[in-house]
Amino acid sequence: MANAFARGFDRLVQILFFSGRTELAMVLAAALGFIVILLFVGKVPVSYNVRNLMVRWKTTVMTGLAFTLVVSLMTVMLAFVNGMYQLTEKSGQPGNVIVLADGATDESFSTLSFVDSSDIEQQPGVLRNESGAALCSKEVYVIVNQEVGVAAGEKPRRRFVQVRGVEDPSMAGMVHGLKLRTGGEWFSAGGVEEAAAADDGSSSNVLIQAIVGNGLAAELGNDRPERKPLQVGDTFSLGARTWKVTGILDSTGSTFDSEVWAKRSRVGEEFGKQNTYSSYLIRTEGPKAARALTKDLQNYKKAALNPQVETDYFSAQAETGKQFLVAIIVVAIVMAVGGVFGVMNTMFAAISQRTKDIGVLRILGYARWQILVSFLLESLVIALIGGLAGCALGFLADGWTARSVVSSGPGGGKSVVLQMVVSPEILMTGTLLSLGMGALGGFVPALSAMRFRALESLR
Amino acid sequence: MLEILTTLAKYGLIIFKNVRRNLLRTVLTSLGTMVLVLVITLIWSVLHFLDNAMAEKANNFKVIVTERWQIPSRMPFAYADSLSDAAAREPGDLHPRDACTWQFYGGTIDPKNRTRENSLFFICLQPDKIPTMVDELEDLKGARMEQLQQIVRKIEEQRNGVMVGSGILKRLGKKVGERMKITSFNYKDIDLEVDIVGSPPEGTRHDMSCFMNRDYLNMAFEDYKARNKGKSHPLADKTLGLVWLRVDSRADFERVAAQIMSSPEYANPAVKCESASSAISAFLESMQDIFWGMRWLLAPAVLVTLSLVIANAISISVRERRMEIAVLKVLGFRPGHVLGLILGEAVLIGAVSGLISAGGAHLLVNNVFGGINFPIAFFSKFFIPVDAVWWGLSIGSLTAFAGAIIPAWSARSVKVADVFAKVA
Repeated sequence: MANAFARGFDRLVQILFFSGRTELAMVLAAALGFIVILLFVGKVPVSYNVRNLMVRWKTTVMTGLAFTLVVSLMTVMLAFVNGMYQLTEKSGQPGNVIVLADGATDESFSTLSFVDSSDIEQQPGVLRNESGAALCSKEVYVIVNQEVGVAAGEKPRRRFVQVRGVEDPSMAGMVHGLKLRTGGEWFSAGGVEEAAAADDGSSSNVLIQAIVGNGLAAELGNDRPERKPLQVGDTFSLGARTWKVTGILDSTGSTFDSEVWAKRSRVGEEFGKQNTYSSYLIRTEGPKAARALTKDLQNYKKAALNPQVETDYFSAQAETGKQFLVAIIVVAIVMAVGGVFGVMNTMFAAISQRTKDIGVLRILGYARWQILVSFLLESLVIALIGGLAGCALGFLADGWTARSVVSSGPGGGKSVVLQMVVSPEILMTGTLLSLGMGALGGFVPALSAMRFRALESLR
Repeated sequence: MLEILTTLAKYGLIIFKNVRRNLLRTVLTSLGTMVLVLVITLIWSVLHFLDNAMAEKANNFKVIVTERWQIPSRMPFAYADSLSDAAAREPGDLHPRDACTWQFYGGTIDPKNRTRENSLFFICLQPDKIPTMVDELEDLKGARMEQLQQIVRKIEEQRNGVMVGSGILKRLGKKVGERMKITSFNYKDIDLEVDIVGSPPEGTRHDMSCFMNRDYLNMAFEDYKARNKGKSHPLADKTLGLVWLRVDSRADFERVAAQIMSSPEYANPAVKCESASSAISAFLESMQDIFWGMRWLLAPAVLVTLSLVIANAISISVRERRMEIAVLKVLGFRPGHVLGLILGEAVLIGAVSGLISAGGAHLLVNNVFGGINFPIAFFSKFFIPVDAVWWGLSIGSLTAFAGAIIPAWSARSVKVADVFAKVA
């Protein structure tokens, strides 16, 4: 039962955020087709319903607005979760293998020995560049507690900043598939530089050179009075040191947009991980080769490792997204139920006001089911218009940025700046939800309208 | 006074009768109100708890000491004793009222197929500190505290005894009295056999928490050393996660913070000292946008939807009763009376529905469902506070009032001549 639920949930995630465009389009087309069929078979002129909606325009607008609000809220919430999924989806390369220490599910908990790294680079399947060097980035990863400056009297604030120490930044960039923005450069072999001497000639400090993800550059820039993203040459404080930006990572919409990269030895020294790595990231020829290398490394005898295809590793990081999705589904369903009661109210009132109309229609020869279709259509029209307005309103959230956390479970996790994505799948889901609410809310009152006897209605 | 009461009773009776007249509409409006109030109650319960967790408590001031720069905090256990005494080294230095250390041990009962379902995290601490220093458990009273004390005594007597929350036991398919072999994923080769001696009393967030005697974990590191020819475990000097201190006031916090921060003992790694509320705020900092969205986007939108549902119902009701309103005016009811009657109907429906929804949610969610399962940071679940009953009443009444004001105003403005002219 639990497995079936989990499978169903995973399928829902796939449909909503990855590959459900065709399925949703088909369902939506079927729903709209059903409305069109009702229009044709219903016989009761649609103009009659439209005029009624316009006569009772205040009620129509209020009911439609309820749909608009429910659908727009759901769109915004799903856009947020979609942003999380897209972020983790874009963070991994299908041809990469990430190697963690056995038992570790997150880089921050992984401790690998220096000794094993050169041996692992020699494994068959590891891709090499023109000069024969293995495409492997050996990295140390720490989450640093950064004190955020606040005004006097305000509560102290901190944020968590992900810092990745890499041996060779250009190699790391190549393996991760990341580039620098124009004007930036990778940090030097030493990873440090002397700060320019102050005008008064006072002693200078050593600055740690760093590459900053563009999301984090904006976040750190908010701490400065001018509130502009950090640029190449700017400095910031992290840990006990001052860091200088030598380059900004080009945005990829991945978790790396929220990271600081610096020389591995400097990061290790600063944060107590001097003689260890957290992960090795290895490039292979492609997804198939990555699976094969993962399998080989699972049987590696010299050290206990936890190798994973990088995309699998980041998929597991989407656990937080799942939790939010469950909450959103619950909230959306409860709100939709509330909306359904609102529609029912409107439709019951519409019917009670038009009892005589129903009697006349019946005497004119319209069948009971045609009365049902007429009222159901009215409700569906309100739902469709309200829902589309909700989608339009929700669409405004596309591209908004928000801070969040992605993680594979308790402990660990990455603080990220994500971009909300309103996809066609989400818009179609919103429209379907709206139509579902309209159908549910309109059907019961329409049933009651259908049951009126002609003469009694006219009395 | 009596006259006012009589008038109020008279109007109350009319309102009550009006509400009962179209039962279907009343029930639908009421159900709509209930579900939307439920959404608000759930959202506000989560926010209320987090706000509370992030607020300083004057009567229970706790301090957390952790590694200064890194998350997760991994300090040497050698720091434990001196930090527990707030690094007091001079006569006149302040000693905390109470203290306890936390180490973390994570593992799985199925190492070959490790999943979230077969994994668990232990807080390893001094057992006698469970009833005095652990949030919520320290507040237990009477029989529930006695139950907790009994478990604590068992953990003290039997070092491998552990207390595992009922939610975790259910997930693992284990019972109190059973033994578990745990393969660690944060301390490789430190695998432990533990006996489950009890669960934290129900009704707290700790049904997803696990507690272990810290001595048992530390002994395992000693065993590792003995097994490996005197070579310590690579993480042996990084097992201390945090130290909790209890002091009397913010001023005392500042004193102990100064003692700790000025101590030369904590150079590598450096430590930081912060109030519990501040530490929780820092942990939740990355989620502030989500909380902002819940507070300023989701909740207001639900309130507006609720107002619309009520406004719709009331405006329909007013439209249907224009004739009746005209008759009331002919009978001597003034516009203000009509306004009061319509608003009274809306507020009655809103208040009762809100009260039932929030009160029902409080009883059902807390007692039947065992809380809202919505893991955020280290909070696994949330309960509906008793205050929610008042929220429900207020939300229902105020949104009904807001939604009904325009329809009620239009009812107030009904012109007798217009209505009867149409009838004629």
